[in-house]
Amino acid sequence: MAENGIGASVPRTEDHRFLTGTGSYTDDSNLPHQTYAAFVRSTHAHATVALDTSAAAAAPGVVAVLTGTDLAGDQVGSLICGWVVTGKDGEPHKAPPHPALAADTVRHVGDAMAIVVAESARAARDAAELVKVDYTPLPAVVSMRDALAEGAPQIHAEAPGNLCYDWEIGDRAATDEAFGRARHVARLDLVNNRLIPNAMEPRAAIGDYNPATGDYTLRLTSQNPHIHRLVLAAFVQIAPEHKLHVIAPDVGGGFGSKIFIYQEETAVLWAAGKIGRPVKWTADRSESFVADAHGRDHETHVELALDEGGRFLGLRVETRANMGAYLSTFASCVPSYLYGTLLQGQYTTEAIYCEVKAVFTNTTPVDALRGAGRPEATYLIERIVDQAAHDMGIDPAELRRRNFIPADAFPYPTKVALEYDSGNYGLALDRALELADYNGFAARRAESEAKGRLRGIGLSAYIEACGIAPSQVVGSLGAGVGLWESGGIRFNPTGNVLVYTGSHSHGQGHETTFAQLVSDYLGVPFENIEVVHGDTEKTPFGMGTYGSRSLAVGGSALVKAMDKIIAKGRKIAAFSLEASEEDIEFSGGDFKVAGTDRSMNIAEVAFSAYVPHNYPLDELEPGLEETGFYDPANFTFPAGTHVCEVEVDPETGTTEIVHWVAVDDFGNVINPMIVEGQVHGGVAHGVGQALLEGCAYDADGQLVTGSFMDYTMPRADDLPDLTVETTCTPCPHNPLGVKGCGEAGAIAAPAAVMNAITHALGTGAIDMPATPQAVWRALNQ
Amino acid sequence: MSVNVSMNVNGRAVCGEVEDRTLLVEFLRENLRLTGTHVGCDTSQCGACVVHVDGRSVKACTMLAVQAEGAEVTTIEGLAQDGKLHPMQEAFRENHGLQCGFCTPGMVMSALDLVERNPDPSSAEVREWLEGNLCRCTGYHNIVKSILAGASAMRGGS
Amino acid sequence: MDITGEYRIPLPREAVFAALNDPDVLGRCIPGCEALEQVDEDEYSADVVAKIGPVKARFQATITVSNLNPPESYTLSGEGRGGAAGFASGSADVSLETVDEDTVLRYTASIRPGGKIAQVGSRLMGGTARKLGAEFFSRFVEVVTPAPLSDERGPAGQEE
Repeated sequence: MAENGIGASVPRTEDHRFLTGTGSYTDDSNLPHQTYAAFVRSTHAHATVALDTSAAAAAPGVVAVLTGTDLAGDQVGSLICGWVVTGKDGEPHKAPPHPALAADTVRHVGDAMAIVVAESARAARDAAELVKVDYTPLPAVVSMRDALAEGAPQIHAEAPGNLCYDWEIGDRAATDEAFGRARHVARLDLVNNRLIPNAMEPRAAIGDYNPATGDYTLRLTSQNPHIHRLVLAAFVQIAPEHKLHVIAPDVGGGFGSKIFIYQEETAVLWAAGKIGRPVKWTADRSESFVADAHGRDHETHVELALDEGGRFLGLRVETRANMGAYLSTFASCVPSYLYGTLLQGQYTTEAIYCEVKAVFTNTTPVDALRGAGRPEATYLIERIVDQAAHDMGIDPAELRRRNFIPADAFPYPTKVALEYDSGNYGLALDRALELADYNGFAARRAESEAKGRLRGIGLSAYIEACGIAPSQVVGSLGAGVGLWESGGIRFNPTGNVLVYTGSHSHGQGHETTFAQLVSDYLGVPFENIEVVHGDTEKTPFGMGTYGSRSLAVGGSALVKAMDKIIAKGRKIAAFSLEASEEDIEFSGGDFKVAGTDRSMNIAEVAFSAYVPHNYPLDELEPGLEETGFYDPANFTFPAGTHVCEVEVDPETGTTEIVHWVAVDDFGNVINPMIVEGQVHGGVAHGVGQALLEGCAYDADGQLVTGSFMDYTMPRADDLPDLTVETTCTPCPHNPLGVKGCGEAGAIAAPAAVMNAITHALGTGAIDMPATPQAVWRALNQ
Repeated sequence: MSVNVSMNVNGRAVCGEVEDRTLLVEFLRENLRLTGTHVGCDTSQCGACVVHVDGRSVKACTMLAVQAEGAEVTTIEGLAQDGKLHPMQEAFRENHGLQCGFCTPGMVMSALDLVERNPDPSSAEVREWLEGNLCRCTGYHNIVKSILAGASAMRGGS
Repeated sequence: MDITGEYRIPLPREAVFAALNDPDVLGRCIPGCEALEQVDEDEYSADVVAKIGPVKARFQATITVSNLNPPESYTLSGEGRGGAAGFASGSADVSLETVDEDTVLRYTASIRPGGKIAQVGSRLMGGTARKLGAEFFSRFVEVVTPAPLSDERGPAGQEE
């Protein structure tokens, strides 16, 4: 293994700027003649509105006050949902209009109605308070149950009954038949709590317009600048794609929330064009709480049918999923194709049927959040498996082992439309149990009991579909885009390399991992490689970063580009070394004539490519730069087992996580240190969901957990040190054998925590977040 | 109303005219263009804006610029000397104590105040000290590890 | 969340009821009230400055009197719009009972916040409502009572 190559825990290249305060996040930039924007947002969950902007427009420093009426007048298009889910009835989902500024009806607290542009941020905010909004409140529906009730107030005329879609997957008849054969049926009603993403960097955008050229530039907090450009150009139609330059500089975390095309960046870009000056907006955290797409929010009834030996015969799932007030960019696919398709879990369950009602409510839109659909699937599978184990008196580890898809059964076609490519679930489980000292649990429980504490241990054997995604598959399921990725390699004449990726790093460390990959593959010194991302004018069109896809898809695209570089280099070396191309071997950065000591380093090849003084130009082009596009043949399927051990104080209901073990199969690993960090962060996110985080609205649709004072984020002392290991079954269908690791922790963790708590309490009647109050109530019911 | 403020930031005398309601963090970011100090919330919970004022860690969003009149202020930009990272910064780099980097300046500045008060903290003490600093990326594991390593390096350990 | 309270006022019920419908008295008793104007028989408009948790705002309030049952009971409803800070609406059912020579005033009040006030102030809403309710009725007692109150007739707010 090379010092900085594949498999080495190389300290990150990007860290120096972050550690010295010289990173460049969107809010750190300012443009000449810049103005500042503040939004006027609805304080009602549902109302018709009339705006009087005269006082605001006359306030000191105000440049413009623009409303939804102005926006409609300029024919600015609606925000879109990029994935059309087809319901049971064969009809496409309902995607009502979602204007960047609401003109006459607001549908959730925080819905933007006007943008105030001023000479300073303070002036803009002061003036925004002067916009008089005359609200005529309409009845609001907040819970999904209320939204679906007969005679419920209608949020959109286009979506009767507030139903976005009613979708199904699996085989209902086969599942009914399986339940008919069951010896035992385990049942649970579960709530997958609504979460607020809270990346530490609030969203921000700076729109700019150059009247001389007609070019627009948008700098913003985006996980996928090309998707932002595509949607704003093709659908919202502010500027054509070639006249819109989108830059996502350093981005302070995303977790899904910075995938989407929101009201604010749309309005900022449009406003910049209207006033002919740059317009900057940075969310304050209060805005983030109401304006960033939320995550999860499912209500599910699940049933698992088992035979007398505890084999899983059938799984039946009925879910209501909250879409919020509008259909966000990828909201529709989250509780359908990213959820129902994962209900096989790690098990050989013989029949599966799942139906999902997606529901509009007068709340902030809900979309993908770290894991997106897959945490919801894992949570219900792993909870119902534990419930069944409890009901039948079978050890939860043993019950899982009995039902695992065997290691020799891959590729394994699931009952819910996927084909698992590789895995060894028993191996990860066994190692996790060993690291967690599962066999020693009884003694530890006795020790806890002696102190008056309850102790529990919980497993979560999760699976996810990552490396999103084969375009043909997602296209057939309604995706409006392909989900391939791009990668470019440019050798400079002096032999150093620029690496271009269409994926985007907002904490994942691409600048390091991708450089390791290129260094290893092309034999170029690590320090001679620069990774470029996040700029539509620099990088080839790419789909961005989410769904644990960057390395599996984006890294594979780089391999394709590098293969082309090597092929071209071989031609150049053959010409320069006066050998035939077939005789040129490439390894360790050297092109060598087989069986001789004649060779050229790749840097020399690059130099030659740019100084083609005697090239046979009809056979050999100058230059050494290649681009690869990679469309995966399948999803990747990271899987593993997490074990959580908790101690509960029955007096106060407080849960302490005393031990955490994660054993994950991510396939091959390029930078183990970065992979471990991704697992740590994912676990913390999942622990946050399980113990702390719960977004709450009151009956009127007011968000009552709207700040860090009321929405409990995981803090350092909520978490223990984490024991993290990996197993490896390489992905067989991408050139790197990698699977993706960014979401695993968030997918695995909630069920592990809750299974530990239910084990400690002896009751399954508890939902997330298991706050001290919820635990105490479960104990004292 | 505008007021003049002057203070010493990272060893340099600075002054500026600000609106009286200007927060210290706004003065640092907007007037001095020291954008390493970040704003992650509006309720003084997240700790992304932690700087040192007269040697103590302070959330720069909880203090008006005028309250720092005449103070010695150190920000993340003031730690590395002659291009060499401070041992605490180096410890964060070596131990992967950061991912997106947004909370990092506040984490490092908080950590330094902890080590100033308690040169050899335990893991539990570090976790408790970080109560006022939020991170969404790292799960804190490697931040704690970094701070323990940084403290050790500052004590002269290996 | 409902807030209840009880006060004993050394005045006959009719006098207390009349005071409860006197704009001048209301204006002096509503906490933070800077102006109060009768716009209709049962309706008043008021400018009120209120601080709920970290949010301080000027509210343009409409106060309505309903369920008039003189001199026994009525309902006082208010809706305040605080612009960007959001809004709050609340109501209080007030009843009067004659006990000996005095009048016992009982109220049950509720308050519903909206917008930023709800977002960052909900947690503090119960306390704020209790405080505002107690302030209003204790001032009311002060304003209408001819003689100083003894301690045992002080406010006794409690949350249900």
